[in-house]
Amino acid sequence: MTDTPMTPRDRVLKLFAGEAIDRPPCFSGMGNVTAEGLKKFGYKFAAVHSDAKMMADSAASTYRLFGFECAVVPFDLCVEAEALGCGINVYSHLEDILYPTIKTKLINTEEEMDIAVPADLAERGRVPMMKEVIGRLKADVGKEVAIGAHVLGPFTLAGQVMELNTLLKLSFKKPDKIGKLLDTLASALVVIAGEYEDAGADYITVREMGATSDVLSPRVFKSLILPYLKKVFAALNKDTVIHICGKTNDIAVFMVESGAKAISVDQKNDIADTRKKIGDKALLFGNYDPYNVLVSGTAEQVRETMRQCLDNGVSAVWPGCDIWPTVPPENFHAMMDEVKQYRR
Amino acid sequence: MATDERKKEILEKLKNAVIQYDEDTAREGSEEALKEGLDANEAIFNGLVSGMEEVGRLFEAQEYFVPELLMCADALYAGLDILKPHVKQMDLGVKGSVVIGTVEGDVHDIGKNIVKMMFDVAGFQVYDLGKDVPLDKFVEEQMKTASDLVCLSAMMTTTMVGMKKVIDDLKAKNPNVKIMIGGAPVSADIAEKWGADGYSPDANNALKDAINMISSLKKLKEEAEQKKA
Repeated sequence: MTDTPMTPRDRVLKLFAGEAIDRPPCFSGMGNVTAEGLKKFGYKFAAVHSDAKMMADSAASTYRLFGFECAVVPFDLCVEAEALGCGINVYSHLEDILYPTIKTKLINTEEEMDIAVPADLAERGRVPMMKEVIGRLKADVGKEVAIGAHVLGPFTLAGQVMELNTLLKLSFKKPDKIGKLLDTLASALVVIAGEYEDAGADYITVREMGATSDVLSPRVFKSLILPYLKKVFAALNKDTVIHICGKTNDIAVFMVESGAKAISVDQKNDIADTRKKIGDKALLFGNYDPYNVLVSGTAEQVRETMRQCLDNGVSAVWPGCDIWPTVPPENFHAMMDEVKQYRR
Repeated sequence: MATDERKKEILEKLKNAVIQYDEDTAREGSEEALKEGLDANEAIFNGLVSGMEEVGRLFEAQEYFVPELLMCADALYAGLDILKPHVKQMDLGVKGSVVIGTVEGDVHDIGKNIVKMMFDVAGFQVYDLGKDVPLDKFVEEQMKTASDLVCLSAMMTTTMVGMKKVIDDLKAKNPNVKIMIGGAPVSADIAEKWGADGYSPDANNALKDAINMISSLKKLKEEAEQKKA
């Protein structure tokens, strides 16, 4: 160990670079806004998705309040679909925490599947705002923590822009047609993630949870999903993570093959088995349950889960999904403390 | 009236049509069943539902995944639409109506639709509220229809917590109503803590649960027939 303690930013970037670090970081590539953070600023959850300052403040607060070793935006999964032309619902009429969803689809029939990437995609929807958010985070906490941003994977984005039922059935009946759509969506994602990189994001997480083995066979994953993930990762320049939740043990090797620098899985993954399959060198992030452990578990259960993740061989302690906002502060502190104390 | 052998052939045709997600054959088999005097109930339960039972097995064995499951469901409905108008009301000691929907904030309805399909098959009156359903709507619809059962679905952790509120409201207004919750983030622990009567964590389990329910209906039906004989 060095005399000067590493900043969270050094720790994360060195981990990606394969350099020596003092301990595995505790961070995420997915949304991590907390109710505590919102309370600190008096922000309403429904309002933070469409205001650059509010989103940046909230994202940085998770580091400030708990020492979480990153700041990640956005908090919802609709930015890309919205930029492509979908309508979204942010549930501003409700006080409860509800994440924005897609209200109107871009593609309603099979005939409408022939879409192109809009030439002005980087200027559409909330993409310009996201660039501002990343810039603000960079200026605010960018020296201390790594700034993350996430986009959907091509298949999961397809599930946002068209009816999921139709997408799933066509991916079986007409894979060529779906492949063509995924190719277009991959190009769109490269544009958007590229903008995030230019704005200063240190790492990009691609969330392709629609292609989990709970839904699609590993065979279809390899033939229909993997080629377009490869296309996305080949075009990105910063550090990258591929995240898929649910059953992933049979596709973990393909996830590594996608070209992402790290793979991220959730609590359903048998980490020890995955570690064996992908080898010691591959970066494997995971895999605690952000609701059933971090929100509704006791502080002691949180600590035990963190030790298990590390014992099983994760390269970084990382949640299986977004941090659920109502995480009790004592649990968040217990998580950070346990990861810092852990010795293999 | 069809011979036993011919009857078996038609039932087998319906079963395989569902397994092989062949809507045309499911329709054709259903027409044949009606034309040749098979009991519509029998064609549904021993033909279409038998097929779905095998689909459930294939799903569990990870030979089938969700796309196949959806196509099998389409084939089942293709047959059901033809057979259902000819179903004689069964006295199974189980009658019922169910309110079903995906909670507000969640726009995923595949798991919900699979459960709904099995209720349709079983002859329940199904009040399908769809997806992204405001929480109050569940309570309102249950009161309006006096349904015995309410099924809530959520696919994401981020929307699951809304279910607790619906359960509390429903139980406060009508302590006898049975509540089933379903979706990837749901666990036995959560179901118990929140006071739900049953749960299914995924489409696979939802299908299995629904099939178990249908299978027990099938048994009841057979018992009823034996008594008659």
